[in-house]
Amino acid sequence: MKTMKSIRILYLFSGIALLLAGCKKITDFNNDPNTLPVDKATPQLLFPSAVMSTAGHIHGEYAITGGLWAQYYTQSALASQYRTLDAFNVNTTDMNLAYRESYIGALNDYVKAQELATAEGNWKFNLMATVMKAYTLQVLADLYDMVPYSEAFKGQANLQPKFDDGYSIYKGLLAEIDAALAKDYKSGTLSSADAKADVVFNGSMDNWERFANTLKLKMYLRMVNAKPAEAEAGVKALYTANAKFLETTAGVDIFKDEPNFSNPFFEQNIRKLNTTTNLRASETFVSWLRANNDPRIVAYFGSTNPGTIHQGDFTSTNPAYGAAAVFVQHATDPVYFISEAESYFMQAEARERYYGGAGAKALYDAGVTAAFEQHGLAPGALLTGAYAYPVAGTFQQKLEAIIVQKWASFPGSHDLEGWFEKNRTGYPRTSPVYSTSASYVPGQLVYPKNGVTNGLFPKRLLFPDIERSRNSNTPAEVPITVKTWWGL
Amino acid sequence: MPFQLQSALKVSALLQFYLSCVSPETITQLKNMKMRKSILLFMALLITAVIWAQQRTIKGKVTDAKGVPITGATVSVKGQTAATQTDAQGNFVIQAAQGNVLVISNVGYAEHEVTVGAGDQVNVSLQQRNAELSEVVVTALGVSREKRTLGYATSTFKNEEINRVAPVSIFDGLQGKVAGADISNVSGSPGGSTKVILRGYSSLVNGNQPLYVVDGVPLSDVRPGSDIYSPDANANKGTATPGYDFGNTANDINPNDIESISILKGAAATSLYGSRAANGVIIITTRKGRSGKLRVDVTSSAVFSKPGILPRLQKLFGQGWDGRFWASENGSWGPKLDGVDRLWGATVDNSQLIKPFAFVEDNVRNLYETGREYNNTLTLSGGNEASTFLFSYGNVVNDGFLPTDNDFYRRNTFSLRGTTRYKGFTAEGSFNYVNRSQRFVENGQSASGVGGSFYEQVLQFPVDIPIRDFRDYKNKFFNVDNFFTPFAENPYYNLYENGSRAKSDRFYGNINLQYKLFNWLTLQVQQGIDVTNSTTKLWRNKNAPKEGSWNAGFNPEGAARQANVGNVQEGSQKFYEYDGKVSALVKHRLNERFTLDGFAGLTYNERGSNILYSYIEDLAVPGFFDISNGVNPPQSTHFESKQAIMGLYGSATIGYNDYLYLTLNARNDWSSTLPKESFSYFYPSANVSFLLTNLWSVDKSKVSYAKLRASYGRTGKDATPYQVLDAILSQQVPLPFGTINFPFNGVPGYTLRDRLGNRQLQPEISTEAEIGGEFKFLNDRIGFDIAYYHKVSEGQIIPTFIAPSTGYNTITLNFGKIRNRGIELSAMITPVRTRDITWDINYTFTRNRNLVTELPSGLNKFQLTGIFDAKLEARLNQPLGVFYAPVPKTDSAGRIVVDATTGFPVAAAEDGFYGDAQRDYTMGLVNTFTYKNFRLGFSFDYRKGGVFYSSTSELLMFTGNHYKTTYNNRQPFILPNSVNEVVDGNGKVTYVENTTPIDEEHQDDWWYANSNRGWIYQHRIMDKTFLKLRDVTLSYTLPASVANKIRAERIVVTLIGRNLWTWLPKDNQIVDPESSNFGRDILSEFGEFRVGPMPRSFGASVRVSF
Repeated sequence: MKTMKSIRILYLFSGIALLLAGCKKITDFNNDPNTLPVDKATPQLLFPSAVMSTAGHIHGEYAITGGLWAQYYTQSALASQYRTLDAFNVNTTDMNLAYRESYIGALNDYVKAQELATAEGNWKFNLMATVMKAYTLQVLADLYDMVPYSEAFKGQANLQPKFDDGYSIYKGLLAEIDAALAKDYKSGTLSSADAKADVVFNGSMDNWERFANTLKLKMYLRMVNAKPAEAEAGVKALYTANAKFLETTAGVDIFKDEPNFSNPFFEQNIRKLNTTTNLRASETFVSWLRANNDPRIVAYFGSTNPGTIHQGDFTSTNPAYGAAAVFVQHATDPVYFISEAESYFMQAEARERYYGGAGAKALYDAGVTAAFEQHGLAPGALLTGAYAYPVAGTFQQKLEAIIVQKWASFPGSHDLEGWFEKNRTGYPRTSPVYSTSASYVPGQLVYPKNGVTNGLFPKRLLFPDIERSRNSNTPAEVPITVKTWWGL
Repeated sequence: MPFQLQSALKVSALLQFYLSCVSPETITQLKNMKMRKSILLFMALLITAVIWAQQRTIKGKVTDAKGVPITGATVSVKGQTAATQTDAQGNFVIQAAQGNVLVISNVGYAEHEVTVGAGDQVNVSLQQRNAELSEVVVTALGVSREKRTLGYATSTFKNEEINRVAPVSIFDGLQGKVAGADISNVSGSPGGSTKVILRGYSSLVNGNQPLYVVDGVPLSDVRPGSDIYSPDANANKGTATPGYDFGNTANDINPNDIESISILKGAAATSLYGSRAANGVIIITTRKGRSGKLRVDVTSSAVFSKPGILPRLQKLFGQGWDGRFWASENGSWGPKLDGVDRLWGATVDNSQLIKPFAFVEDNVRNLYETGREYNNTLTLSGGNEASTFLFSYGNVVNDGFLPTDNDFYRRNTFSLRGTTRYKGFTAEGSFNYVNRSQRFVENGQSASGVGGSFYEQVLQFPVDIPIRDFRDYKNKFFNVDNFFTPFAENPYYNLYENGSRAKSDRFYGNINLQYKLFNWLTLQVQQGIDVTNSTTKLWRNKNAPKEGSWNAGFNPEGAARQANVGNVQEGSQKFYEYDGKVSALVKHRLNERFTLDGFAGLTYNERGSNILYSYIEDLAVPGFFDISNGVNPPQSTHFESKQAIMGLYGSATIGYNDYLYLTLNARNDWSSTLPKESFSYFYPSANVSFLLTNLWSVDKSKVSYAKLRASYGRTGKDATPYQVLDAILSQQVPLPFGTINFPFNGVPGYTLRDRLGNRQLQPEISTEAEIGGEFKFLNDRIGFDIAYYHKVSEGQIIPTFIAPSTGYNTITLNFGKIRNRGIELSAMITPVRTRDITWDINYTFTRNRNLVTELPSGLNKFQLTGIFDAKLEARLNQPLGVFYAPVPKTDSAGRIVVDATTGFPVAAAEDGFYGDAQRDYTMGLVNTFTYKNFRLGFSFDYRKGGVFYSSTSELLMFTGNHYKTTYNNRQPFILPNSVNEVVDGNGKVTYVENTTPIDEEHQDDWWYANSNRGWIYQHRIMDKTFLKLRDVTLSYTLPASVANKIRAERIVVTLIGRNLWTWLPKDNQIVDPESSNFGRDILSEFGEFRVGPMPRSFGASVRVSF
């Protein structure tokens, strides 16, 4: 009897011992079956998702803001989605998502892709990731004047990165682009799978080199007010080195008319919004198109004579406003990072600024033509008529012609740049009167009806709440009407 | 000894089966085998149980000291399992042999023993006595302990108390009755979830729900189809369905199957349960069969429900906007209601409807019908001295008060339990199968452009338009094309054309084997299993206003309604949990003075889930809800998780002279969710119970019972799975509305996960001290139980938000310190106790104060959740869950700064404080009157203080239906005490008196955040105080003579009322503050997002025992 009991006890306790030994393995459970371990990351996997994130935000929420402030369209009086933006009534929480995703969905992946590409000597993806990182960060720096850069992307190693001023960021990014261009990204060709991962140029390294150069040109031109000498030196260095610029559009043009695979501006403003008619034709832009008989009016607003709303007049009960034309968007619209037209317009400006205008007219004409071609149109007689380059004009007249044409080329694909360029150059001009006035000059930007900034225009965004509430190094708030470091 | 050999073999078989945990990878292979083995084993146990002894029939009657028969007293044969209960007349019948000792016991009476003599009749009179002295409480790991030896607070509820209101889920009858517990229904819809918070919130994100333990084995409590399981889930992805509440799985238990519920709140009480018990433990003991004749219990109830609190609307102004009439507006910002007949709605075929421009009384209420809930349970039980069994079948059918059966709940529960005993060997088995089917009408805000949800449409009806008329939703004036407004949809369309369904099959049970090796030592092996397979399906129909119709833009405002493309989402959610333990239990009287009780053991628990969602958006053929019917191919998401805890535990209680008891507990856990370096953690606890009335002889008629308690303990808690390592995952770019998904056009795209892993993660540790006492006076006529506790939770494991510029959005950190301290008081008074009449009062009071005393470096706040600009935050030195939102800017004199152009307040740069989510205190009051066979009970539940965000309020203010929107009769006004800011050329700021009025046209903008951001939140964030008449029951026990006519022993008929009456403060005449569609944890404290009304019900039940 006693032995039976002892055997039983033995059973139990050997069981316990076994249990202890066996269950030691439980920490293996920590490998998440739903995700890939981080050491499986490759530049090819990270790059396309980061590009879509850049496209999704710089050409999503930020673009809508830029487009309203460039006065292509305005808030419908019958809906309310963008009322605050249209009234310059900006909150710190407004762009939280776009800011957050630009950092964590785009930039952090570019940085990781750069790091991996460098480690494996994949200089092609290194160039791609560097250019896209520079493009994305440059836009953020332009929006906020200061953003974290030198101490950013360090994860737990630095939870409170300091903000760098825009100029330092520009210098850093230009150096990064130069370093990437100095590597051997030309030899060999990408496999077809790798080329597919390049959702911008499908593996054309020539285009990436051009994109890099054109982006440098854009950044130098942005410095003309604040750092004129450096801007000039930078642009001249490009020309001295016979840098090739974009002759095609750098962007994403693979969107489909399917939920979750569409143009991000369309997806958030049309497909997924309960009111699809928030953005209506602004009198500012339409009056200019109308005055010039510009055929693009149909592409932008669906009619040769669209009804309009005066900028920011969304509280009006004007019955005609109900019929104001809705800004035309398609699920398959491309997203532009730098358009072909923009490339020509920038080159024209550079020629005017530093080379006495040599070749500027041809570049201007090419720009206008490319801008029309975006909509399957041709400028025709406009190039010799209303839009003719003021060859005999002053520099300012020429600059105005270039910038106004550039402004007219951006809606829907690259809206943010219209507002940036206005802040850099002052064009299109600001109207002293509201667009209802008889003395209003078509195309001049007006102070919106419900504006809350005492007649001043926005020049920047407020530092986002999502950063300020988590990073004590966020600088003190600066009103949106204060110019950025490169502003006019 | 063939049998003994057999039993030994069984023990080893059980062990083998139990030990399968040593190789987790083989678990899936073993899963089926396990089940089969369990069933075989149980069958064997039942067969061996059929052993009878030489016995005869003994009859008897049990009465109290006054000769009143005692119903339901337990009569058992000492040393055997034979037992029975007395009937309504106090009579019992039992099989016993001469010389056997009968033990007669009943709650509230001294146990009585009588030896069976030669006669067949045994009459017993029981002495009433102190309940606490004999009360047995099931404590940690299923071990029963006498309550007097416990050094911590417990609350126990018996079957009858739990079931008095014929509840569908276990806590429906206990709201407001447990000190220290916050129990709420969150959606109020049939089968909806129950939230249970014990002693306040102590965890920021890791979950604050208690652990449910059924017969010693943890029960899986999850919300299939309603919670977001993946930490990286994206709301747009189709994984999250916050607008749906398909219930929590703890509610799968049939309340009729429960013998008792014990609620353990403090660390000293719960620490032995390990990591999952840090929020308290709900111990459920199920009913078992008793030896004696076959017993049949039938319980049936029918309960009918109507909506409770509905929003109070303004009655003065009708349809329109900006002070003008618009036939196509979704709000009441129009002219004054004048009762004059007016054309309204869409113009269809050149005709329009006509109705008086007048307020429609009970407009929302009339929308609802009567909900019906039928709840039936049949229980068969019986047994002999060696073995008992119990079988029960429960059926609940509940069709809620919305029209249609789209709010519906059906549950079938089958339970089979048995015990058998042979010499020192005891085997118990419990097997439960639950089949559940549910339909839920979406609340909250549904995916825009896909399809509408129901209640938010209701809130957008102008107060002069009768909602109920629209039930004919295909009528030409009410259909998609011509519904009166393009800004909302016909709610009946959403009710009839959209829907959801959840189905679930669940098996849970356990086998418990014990062998008494020596008189003082028992060995125990117990294995539990809990498997749920559920599927959910959501669908929304496709529709668009016809070209040229009212809602396609041909209305006075020219506004077009967006098409709904429709969708279908199929979900499969599988959950499993295995729990096993091996214990040794010791019970020993060391000498005259000292006793020793204790146990030690080892436990292994593994649980996991496998969740797959597949969905399509944009239906190819409207009205066909299948995953194949998409314009685009279906997309899928998958989430799998697995976690395990192994624990080694021990407990010892030393008793001294029956008045002093010291208990020491210790446990060490090894958790799979922590990094290897810190996956082992140890936590001890101790408690003391001191029975003053046993030490000093006192006059029992004055002080009948006095006990002091003290305890100190720690609990450890692990992380949710997969917080340790970094990862990359397939990218979904979230846009403000919608996403961009990968793979995109055949290109895969991965992104670094937004959440940084943390290899330094440590377990969360809570430390809690508690003191208290239990006192009874005047022969137990007055008594109270009081507890004070102080709990500090440290090193919270939290996916902390970090600055996006770090490259990541969150990191899982140990941080923070949260302190909860509070007082729990329960008191009972019996003002009247005579032979026929008794009046009992039970009162509970709870006051919990929590405070965030530490946040990680550099942070002074942490946002828990938020909507629009309202945020629920954790802030340093403030209670957990404080509301911050925009406030008006003020000048140095406190005057409100107003925009000189608009007249609207300017929002200050910093958000302002709006209150916190925690209650000032809660109170419960239960009154019970008995008169002969009648029993009347009613209970109040009062919860004072705290604020919540109401989106119902927000939407009603936007639409001008809210009762507050008639401020100043909607006439122009200037905000009193307001100023304008003037900045001169030198940047100097001065303030001048504001003279800009809010004109009639802009009254609506006053009540909308886009235009009046700084002002509006004071009306959206509201006081969440309430007083509810939780239940009223009137029971009548039929006289035995009547019962006997149908050969029944006992028949009780009860009239039931639940939540019949609610009082809300003046500030909130809009929504039941208990409701929430933000889950049932701390985020639910944020408030509600257009959640519908909660039910108010009345009905009757019958309980018959044969």
